[in-house]
Amino acid sequence: MCKSARFAHTLDGLKETVVIWSAELRRAVRSGRTVVLLGLYSMFSALVLLVVGWLAGEVRSAVAKQLEGAGADASASVQLNEEMRKGVLGFLTSNDSAMIEALAQVPLEVLIVFKITLFFLPAYIALMGFDQISGEVGPRSMRYLTVRARRSSVLLGKFLTQATLLLGLVLIIDLAIFIYARVANPDFSFPAVAINLLKFWLAAIVFSLAYVALTTLCSSLFRSPAVSLVFNFILLFVFWLMDTIGRASGDTGNLRFLRYLSPSYYASDLLHPGLAQFGASGAAYAVFAFVFLMAAYGILRARDL
Amino acid sequence: MSDVAIELFGVSKRFGPKVAVNGVSFSVPKGAVYGLIGPNGAGKTTTFSMMCGYLYPSEGSLKVMDVDPTTPGALKGRLGALPQDAVLPPGWEVGALLTYWARLSALAEPEREAREALDKVGLMEAWNVQTQALSHGMAKRAAMAQALMGSPPLVLLDEPTAGLDPRIAAQVRQVIRDMKGRQTVVVSSHNLQELEELCDAAAILDKGTLAQAGSMNELTGQGAEFRVQIARGSVIIPELTVMPHITDARMESDTVLRVRFSGGVAPEEVISQVVRHLLQHDVLILGVSRGQRLEDRVLQML
Repeated sequence: MCKSARFAHTLDGLKETVVIWSAELRRAVRSGRTVVLLGLYSMFSALVLLVVGWLAGEVRSAVAKQLEGAGADASASVQLNEEMRKGVLGFLTSNDSAMIEALAQVPLEVLIVFKITLFFLPAYIALMGFDQISGEVGPRSMRYLTVRARRSSVLLGKFLTQATLLLGLVLIIDLAIFIYARVANPDFSFPAVAINLLKFWLAAIVFSLAYVALTTLCSSLFRSPAVSLVFNFILLFVFWLMDTIGRASGDTGNLRFLRYLSPSYYASDLLHPGLAQFGASGAAYAVFAFVFLMAAYGILRARDL
Repeated sequence: MSDVAIELFGVSKRFGPKVAVNGVSFSVPKGAVYGLIGPNGAGKTTTFSMMCGYLYPSEGSLKVMDVDPTTPGALKGRLGALPQDAVLPPGWEVGALLTYWARLSALAEPEREAREALDKVGLMEAWNVQTQALSHGMAKRAAMAQALMGSPPLVLLDEPTAGLDPRIAAQVRQVIRDMKGRQTVVVSSHNLQELEELCDAAAILDKGTLAQAGSMNELTGQGAEFRVQIARGSVIIPELTVMPHITDARMESDTVLRVRFSGGVAPEEVISQVVRHLLQHDVLILGVSRGQRLEDRVLQML
């Protein structure tokens, strides 16, 4: 194929991707399933936020009472609260001083809720997109698409649809969390809210893309959406296990390298203020997303429809 | 550019240990309405699916409109296909879905194409209906409409009239007739009467192998045999067999005389000659029919 023909071929493929992406996105936005899942995830986030907020409040008031009983003054209470905050922040950031400093202005509730929702986000992504390919291959509606579009365009269009949906959904959830944080913590200034919202949103997106690609891969592997979903959950569990075992092995254990093969291992640096750390983490997720997508394409390209 | 729309070269397809299609070769000329005939499990849908690029052949190769149908994007805009068991995706209104697919086929005016195609199959009233709310017949027609959009040079229809009521089936047959000569159409069906009426040529498949392929005349023997239904009188067979061009004559039953003649001769001449002979010998005739019904031919063959 000559250069200009190859260019035209690529351009046509991109046009197909855009058509599939926009059409599927319109359908998804109007579908009841997206609304239900959004509601479900919002409820979950709100629940976590309320529980964490309530726990934090209880701990603070208990400490204040203890100090009051011991005859300490108000400044001692503030100091102790700050120490506790630093302790928790250190635990959440693996005592990375740069990160502790960067997240100094962010209320602790926000960080904890973010970490918890991030942990469950892959499961949510699986629920959202498990049938994106298998749901079309099983009942053979995929056949209507592949006579008019390349399989690569179908795959990419579907992936981008899921990614865009998630982009919007995470923004809505993050926005709600930050609005709550701003209301609950008047010290949390508006510029800090805006910057941190952007930072947290970006981190969640980078993190999510690899899992959206993983879901696309699982959906390409099977004809049955139910099997795709179960396999997706199995893979998520395996990745979590690899990360946990790898971390538990310390720096010398034989299984320590397992953690590097799990996407979740790279999540800790997504909020890092250092560009190198964030870049390395982002690059790791990009590599995972690329590998999963290429594997999905390889499977879809080779399979009978 | 060849005059052949589809060519199969020793194509086989296996699903595990089961051989669905075994070494099938035939070609479909451009502009023809071509039938794929065979009983259940003959390999029609598998062959059809390989022509559309849905399935990869295990052995052999195919050329559809001069390209390998599995090449990404190679048949875009050149092929319209009605797959047999494909379900329309749920969550779409029929009009929006067809417009989307027309846009994906890079048609210049997607909505107009969608409307025209729906109109052709008499389904305009379903424009705003959700796909999951369509009856079987309506879904079939909507699927047929998507295959017709943009008038592609090659249209493959797998069981286009199965499950349709007679009036709609007739409408669909008319749509196929209208495409004759302008587009190449491949129709797979169990309805042999329908195929005999519509098709210029056909391939007969049985248990995954090609039993016979050729023009409808060749398949039904229209250019090589005829039957005379006798009302009264005695037919003297030896007198017929010595007549010029006649290769065989025999009574198939008490009242049906079958006559075979050599190719290259105008059938009307041989028929007239035999009928004249019979009348001269006081044989009264009820009717004459050329060849054999496709259905009889297929039943005889399989």
